[in-house]
Parts: sequence; structure tokens; C-alpha cells
Amino acid sequence: MSSESDRLQSPTVPGRPDDLRARLRFVGTSVARIGGLLIAVLVIAAIFAVLSQGRFVGFANLLGLMRAMSTIAIVGMGLTLVIVVGEIDLSFGALYGLCATVLAVAWMEHGFPVYLAIAVAFAVAIGVGLFNAFFTTVIKVPSFIATLGSGTLIFGFTLAVGRTQTFNPAYPTTGHPLDPGELAFFTGLSNQALPFNIPMQGLWMIAAAVVFGFLLGRSLFGFRLKAIGGNAQAAVLARLPVRKYKFVAFILCGVMACLASVLDFAFVGSASPSGGSSLLFPVFAAVIIGGASLSGGRGTIIGTLTGALLLAILTNGLAVLNAGTFAQQMLLGTVTIGAVVLDQLTRRFRR
Amino acid sequence: MTEPLQAAEPLDVASGPSAAQPPPGGVCLRDISKRYGDTIALDGLDLDARPGEILGVAGPNGAGKSSMVKILAGEVLADEGEIHLDGLAWQPTLDRDRVAAVHQEPQLFPNMSVGDNLLVGREDTRILRPRLDAAERALMTDLAIAEFAERTLGTVPLAVQQRTEICRALARDARVFLFDEPNSALTPDESRDLFRRIHLLAKAGKVVILVSHRLAELVAHCDRVAIILDGRCAALLEGEALTQEAIASELVVGQATRDAKGAVRGGPAEERPTALRLTGWDHQDGEFVAVDLHLRIGDIVALVGVEGSGARELVRSIAGFEPASGQIEVRGRAGPAGIASDTAFVSADRQQSLFSNFTVRDNVVSRLGREIAGFAGALRRRRMTRIAAAAREKFQIRASSLNLPVRTLSGGNQQKVAIAAAIVKRPEVLVLEEPTRGVDIGAKAEIYRLMREYAQDGHALIIYCTEVPEVFEVADLVYVVADGRLSDPIVVMAQPDVEALARAITRLERHSTQPAAA
Repeated sequence: MSSESDRLQSPTVPGRPDDLRARLRFVGTSVARIGGLLIAVLVIAAIFAVLSQGRFVGFANLLGLMRAMSTIAIVGMGLTLVIVVGEIDLSFGALYGLCATVLAVAWMEHGFPVYLAIAVAFAVAIGVGLFNAFFTTVIKVPSFIATLGSGTLIFGFTLAVGRTQTFNPAYPTTGHPLDPGELAFFTGLSNQALPFNIPMQGLWMIAAAVVFGFLLGRSLFGFRLKAIGGNAQAAVLARLPVRKYKFVAFILCGVMACLASVLDFAFVGSASPSGGSSLLFPVFAAVIIGGASLSGGRGTIIGTLTGALLLAILTNGLAVLNAGTFAQQMLLGTVTIGAVVLDQLTRRFRR
Repeated sequence: MTEPLQAAEPLDVASGPSAAQPPPGGVCLRDISKRYGDTIALDGLDLDARPGEILGVAGPNGAGKSSMVKILAGEVLADEGEIHLDGLAWQPTLDRDRVAAVHQEPQLFPNMSVGDNLLVGREDTRILRPRLDAAERALMTDLAIAEFAERTLGTVPLAVQQRTEICRALARDARVFLFDEPNSALTPDESRDLFRRIHLLAKAGKVVILVSHRLAELVAHCDRVAIILDGRCAALLEGEALTQEAIASELVVGQATRDAKGAVRGGPAEERPTALRLTGWDHQDGEFVAVDLHLRIGDIVALVGVEGSGARELVRSIAGFEPASGQIEVRGRAGPAGIASDTAFVSADRQQSLFSNFTVRDNVVSRLGREIAGFAGALRRRRMTRIAAAAREKFQIRASSLNLPVRTLSGGNQQKVAIAAAIVKRPEVLVLEEPTRGVDIGAKAEIYRLMREYAQDGHALIIYCTEVPEVFEVADLVYVVADGRLSDPIVVMAQPDVEALARAITRLERHSTQPAAA
């Protein structure tokens, strides 16, 4: 009976109001998700602006925000790919420390040209991505465990390679000063003077966002990544290249951790083995706040960027207000849970 | 108390003598109905199971067998109707301890020991670790599982797991035993043993209901067999009338009519080129052996066989999703390369064929690659929409928009999306597993039409079927798989009606099944 009436009203021609409405609703859900997040960002920013009597919204502080969010955003973009494909990576924090240390040791102790040292750092990151993907997809160790293990392993390597030291290019451990041209190039990666004092790292972040936004949102790669993350078994039966795509996701996650690590090293001027250990939680928080689903198949780059922005605002705003670390940590925890709760509520409401 | 009620009710003629004198005990189902949304699963089912007998239940997929099992097992609540157990009104959802359902996959705790599995839920202790008492140990010895008491359930053979499930039910003094396809994964020896246990249960005066697809077993072990069709008891066979052929034809009565399809069946076979050829095709674990199979372009070939016969595995192996060796040739190309590029597979389980996080459009194009990607792998969205819109038109997918999440569609339309996704890839050989499982009649007919169109388009289809009417309506040739061996083909057009086809298939099936000792 109902199929009879179904038969009368369809198939629908594309472009019919029905179709448009459904499309709007579908686009609307993702826009609403990000939009809701942006409103939250603005509200929180406004609160800080009032509480700090305007200091928070100063131009310099806003540019500072862009720099502050860049590390989390860059690493988060890589992690988003891994989460979307339905896996998890817990090793990027340790990898962040390893890349800077490898770069420093190759450049400052072994006399590699800085360009080559950077290439070595990226090669190491790719190697770690291969390692994680191999154990996850070929040996079939759950990625949570594989990367928990590889993260610890990597940290051990970092301590061994760097002999637990912290490196600073201005004070080379060998006593020989570094080539000034190379030093200038390296520092320039993050400290290039730009008009309006725009932070160099912010530009790196935007460039990466354009590339990753295309990859995840607009390319066949991203389309299949979401399919695999949404239903890995169906992806296998549909002959999608599941294993290959998981390899690429893990490798890109490693590469992004390395990029953030090199840029921060260049900005701060020091590389410590445990530099990335405090990164793990905020990066996950940014990705989750940004709407990615830990069960896979869902996530966007713009969401992750917004999540990183929200975290940067909280951290920065509380610092401006002198609120103390405890408040930061408490708020960070609240926001992470709150974002997911809100997501679930809106989902239920839509049904 | 129940007697006046039963006497007053106009009962199905088929229930015959048993309806006239209500049984003193056992389970009486009266006028049980159950719907899921628009789908009617049970439509006034009347059924009596007497203590001390084994009642067989047969029916095609979707006829309501599993709904009946779920209602009796207390897993779901019937919408209407009454259930009596030994003369008293009984509500299985509230009183689940009276019934034990033994499924193909035991529903126990695989991480705990066999002994602990008997104790879960009736521990009788709040602080100390529960222990087996003497009576329970004796019961385990009876069922020959005592030696496994300390082993983790997940590591013991399936037959032992099922005996554990039976033991668990006996320990809590269950009255009704439901066996739902219990031996489809057992070896012949194990299933002989299982049936011996089932007979012992009946002899002990328990109510025993056996749901099975295997007609030989129904005939060999049951006192009576009920045929369930469209949510009702369509026939009740017992005594002399209880034969495999009788069950087979009752199962398909009125289920398929031959429409104009005769006109469209492909021309003389010899003129059409080969689409697929298997020679000496063996399954890695012996699910099927030495299979030779030849498909021509334009053929729709059905493989039938009960669960465990190897038919399902054989079909999956053609698409490369079961390990097999031998010679395979797809459109002249030999080996795995041909399998990967020229076949597409759609699983019977829509959980395995659809991406529930995707829209209808994205599901339809999910198997495509180069066709939807342009420069630098950028998605060509307009093209994706165009392909999906064309597919919606052609496959009559009833979705008000292509941008709806696929999970919002009805089961039949979801299945059309799944098959459409495979067909837009244009494989030479389309491999389908139970292509219309859980699909309503109207959608079934449309799916059959699509399959025939695709075959006429110059492709070949091979399908795994469990339903004879499906074979009758869509296939040109049918092979029966029994014990991993392929029968001679039956030409479907040569069968006058679906009942005749059902009898022919049953004869081939029986040929090679060794009837288990009663």
C-alpha cells in the first residue's frame, strides 16, 4: 500500500524542491555543526574581551592566537585523516619530539646541511607512519595498541639519539658555530618578518589546511577514506584499497607531526625530547571538538581548525586574565566533553 | 481455562485434529501477530507444540520463522495474540527462564569457562565466587561436557558450546527448547549427536521446536512439521504425508508465477561467448571440491544449497572473497587479476554492502574511481550526481532525494542502492548473495528485472539463493551444492511450475546428504 503511493511520487527529478531541501538539510547539518562551534568560539571570545577590558581582542593578541593554534591545528589535520579512516594514532606526540631531535643531531652534531637534516626528519616521520600502518593493517594489532607502543618506543629512541639533551642552534653542542646562512634559513621558516606581523606559522597552517581540506573534502582520496572509516568491511567487499589508504593516512599524520615539530623548533629555538608529550591531549580534543567521530567515517579539516582555534582562545584568554593553569585544564576538559554532548544532543534532535 | 477459548476460535483447517482437542500441555500460540513498521512478520499465527514431540518448522526467509523464535524466546513482544504454556497464559518476555533457544551461534559468554557459563545469572551468592554443585556436575557429565568445565568457552568446539547452552537451559529447568538452525555449522558426527540429544529432550517430556532449512532432517527427526508462509501456518504435515517433496512443494505454493520472462531468455547457448569458467576449483578448507562451472554471457546462474553445503562459499570465492584454488577464467582472462577487475560482489548482509555514513548518491558511486575523479584526484561532483540520478531512474530507487542518508531508505530501496553501486561499475560477472533477502515483494520483482536487464546487456550473473521461487523467477540454470559438490544443472525453463522446480532441487539435495541417524 505504501509502496503504491511511493511509486506515484518518485523517482524524483533532481533539482526538485524536495531534492534541494534534502541537500540543504544535509549541507546544513555540517554547516550547523561548524557554525555552532564558531558561535561558541565567538561567545567565548566576547566573554574574554569583556573580562580583559579589550586586551584580548587587540590585533597583536589575535595574531598571537593564530600562531598559538597552529601547532595543534597542523598536527590535528594529520590526526583527522587517521580518525576518519577509523584508526587512532597515539604516537604523534613522541614523533614530534623525535623529529626535532633528529634534525638537531644531524645538523648540529653530524654537520649535515640543514636542508638535508630537515629531509632526514621527514624521512623518519614517514618511517614511523609506515611502522604504525604496517602493524595496524598487516599484523592487525589494533592501532590504539600499536601506536601506544610505537609512541613509547619512539620516545626511547629520542632519548638515545639526543642523549636526553635539549638542543639550541644558537649554542651548538660541538662548539663550532653553525653556518649563518643555514641558521637564517632555519629560523626564517617560522620567524620570517611579514607585513602586519602576520606569523609565519599561521601561513604554514593555512597552506596545510588548503591541501588537507582538498584531500579530505574534495578528492577521491577523502571520499574513499570516509567510506573505509564508515564501513571497513563493505569497503573490502567493494574492492576499495583499504590497506593502501590506511598507510597513507598514518604517513600523513606522521608528516604533519614532523612539520609542526620543525616549525616550532625554528620558532622557539630549542628542541627537547619530550616537547610533544603535552600535545597529545589538546590535539585529540581539537579533532573531536571539530566533529570527527572516533568510530570513523566522519570529520572535516575546517572542524579541526575551529577546534584548535577554540582551544587557543581558551588558553590564551585565561592567560590574559591570569587565571592559572588549573582553570585552563578544567575548562579544557569541560569543553571537550561539552562539545561531544552537544553533538549527540543535536543529532538526536534532528531525528 | 484455555479450552473454551480454543474451542470458540475458528482454526486453520490445516491444524486439523490437533485443533479439535486442545493438547493438555505444551505451547499454544494463538493468533500471534507482529509487525515491524510496514512489514508484517506474523499475521495471526496459530501453532501448537506438544510435550514429548519434536515439532519441525519450515518456511522461506522472511516468512516469520525468526519472528516466531524471537517471540517464544522472549526477545521481542508479540503485538497481538496469546501464548499458553501447559495450559497457563505465558508471557515469554517476562518469564524467559522457561524457554531455551539454541541458536546456530550460541549466545553465551565466550570469555568464561564452560562451567562458569552454567552459573552466570543464577549465581546464588553475593560475595563468594559461585561454584557448580553436584546436580550441575551430573548434568554436565550427562551432556558429555564435564571434561570441558575448566576450558574457556570460546576455545571449545561449536558442538560443545551448543551442549553448554542446552545444559544451561536444563540447569535452570527450562520447559521449551527452541533449536534455530542448530547444526548448520556442525560436522555430520556432531549433528548426529545433537539430534540424539534433541530426541532425549523430547523423551523427557520437554517441548521441542526445531527450525530448519534441511528438509531431510525435518523428515527424519520431527513428529510433525509446520510450514510457515507469510506469517501464518500454511500447512501441518505428519505421518505418511511428511516427506521431503511434500515440504518442498508446500514451501513454494503460490510463491512464484512465470511472467513474460520466457521471451527474454538469451538465445542459443552455443553462440554466446564464455563469461566465466571454473575448472577444478577447490576451497582452501574443503567447503567445496573439484568444481567445474561454465557461465556464458547473458546467463543468470543460481547456486542453491543449505548453510554449510559450500554454496555460499563457492559464490563468494568467485568474487575472490573466499580462499580457493584451481583455474578461474573471467572473460578469457585467467587468475586473480580477472577476479578483481571483472567481478563485483554484493553481500546478503546490507551491513556489508552499504556505507551508512554516506548519502544515497555517495553510496551509488562508492565503487567508482577514475570515473568520478578529475585532475589531482578532485571529485567530479556533478558527474557523481548525474551517475546517481541515472541509477535512481533506472533502478527505481525510491528516495525523495539523492542527498538523503542511505539509512533512511526502506530495506528494498537500500538493497537496490547496494546492487546499483555494483552495476554502475559494469563488472563482466556480477556475483550476488541472496539478492532479495529481507525485501518486500514489489521490490523483489524490480530487482529481478534489473538482474535480467544486466544479463541481457552482455554480462553474466551468478547468485547464491536460498529460496526456490527466486530461482524460478530469475535464473536460467540452477546447480545444487551438497557437501561441497556441484550437481548437474537444472534448466529452469524446463520446469512447468515452481513446485516442480522445488521437487527437482530437493531430489538433487537429497542425493548426497547422508540422513542423520534418528
